[in-house]
Amino acid sequence: PCRAQPKKKKKVDVKKEQAQKERMKKKLKKLEKAAPELIPIEDFITPLKYTESNRVRSLPALSPEESERRVLLLKKWCLFKQKQDKAEKKAIQALVDSQQEALKELQLESEELYQAAIRRDEGLFPFERDGPSYTPPLPGYDPPEGKCIDITKVYTQ
Amino acid sequence: SAAARRPWRLFGAMCLLRLPRITQPLEKEEEEVAALMEQIELEKSVYSDHEMRKLEEEEQLKRKMESLYDEDEAHGKTVIMAQDLEEKWEQKFLQFKPAPRITDADKSNDRTSLNRKLDSNLMLLVKQKIGNQELWLLPQVEWQPGETLRSTAERAMATFLGDHIQAKVLGNAPYGIYKYKFPRAIRTENNVGAKVFFFKAFLQSSDLSQAEVKADYLWVTKKELGDYLKSEYLKKVNRFLLD
Repeated sequence: PCRAQPKKKKKVDVKKEQAQKERMKKKLKKLEKAAPELIPIEDFITPLKYTESNRVRSLPALSPEESERRVLLLKKWCLFKQKQDKAEKKAIQALVDSQQEALKELQLESEELYQAAIRRDEGLFPFERDGPSYTPPLPGYDPPEGKCIDITKVYTQ
Repeated sequence: SAAARRPWRLFGAMCLLRLPRITQPLEKEEEEVAALMEQIELEKSVYSDHEMRKLEEEEQLKRKMESLYDEDEAHGKTVIMAQDLEEKWEQKFLQFKPAPRITDADKSNDRTSLNRKLDSNLMLLVKQKIGNQELWLLPQVEWQPGETLRSTAERAMATFLGDHIQAKVLGNAPYGIYKYKFPRAIRTENNVGAKVFFFKAFLQSSDLSQAEVKADYLWVTKKELGDYLKSEYLKKVNRFLLD
């Protein structure tokens, strides 16, 4: 008679513990299924101190001549950019045509040279180059010394 | 390949480009629109911290001029005004002298120098003897069996500028071709004319003082090519050159 009760307790305990564990696992699964929090983009959030009213700039209003001038200037700009784009595309097309002609002539000459020419050049990419600056580098320029400490906030999901 | 000898002789030529080091000047429309964009940006902005500080200090100065009891607060504090800071920065900027965009080589029109026309591409031209004529050409040598045309062009570059040139050749394929027939005096059944294949490369090293240049050479822009190259040759070369 004394033996039966401790056995029952153990069974019930074990069952209760198992039920508890399953409930915890279900809660964990629910949390994981929820979509991860989106990382905020720092640039799109204006800090609150810039929304104060005393910060608003006081400039004279635009005259109608000024807005007219702006609209006409933007139209001229549109045309300028279109011409520039067309000229660029024409130049690129001329480049491609010239290369196709050269490859055609090469094929007429010798098949193996042609095959060597159309093979991909593995060493070409990645190709890095620094762009041009406004003034050329000053010979003998000593830049000021200092350390750059990066304070960007890093978010983890 | 052991096929019959072709009647065309093959040459590989290299167009070596020195890329621009400074930006090109803006066109009139570009300048106008840049000014407009700056103005619009100013209109849409709010005052920054520095400007707020400047405005407050102006107010304080005005109050000081009108009333006299602010002097007690200011005693003992040497305050640096925002206006003073701006003047200090302006002074520092004026003291800095950047390198000139138009170099001495530009002024003296020294066409053998690489420091000329820093805002455009410069190409290498060498004087070569073709037949019995001395001509200005892109450096070229004759193709030899067993090498690809790209290595012919690289050999041409090395022949005229020495082995220590660092140049990035843009791919295995030729960019252009110039085909010409020999004058009737030399033409035979097996030797009708020549085909010159052009390759393009970017010059990586900016210092060519170590180069042992074997012949007369020039670095010219695309517009100046017309002064040196023959018209047919120039037409073919202009097709694969972007300005």
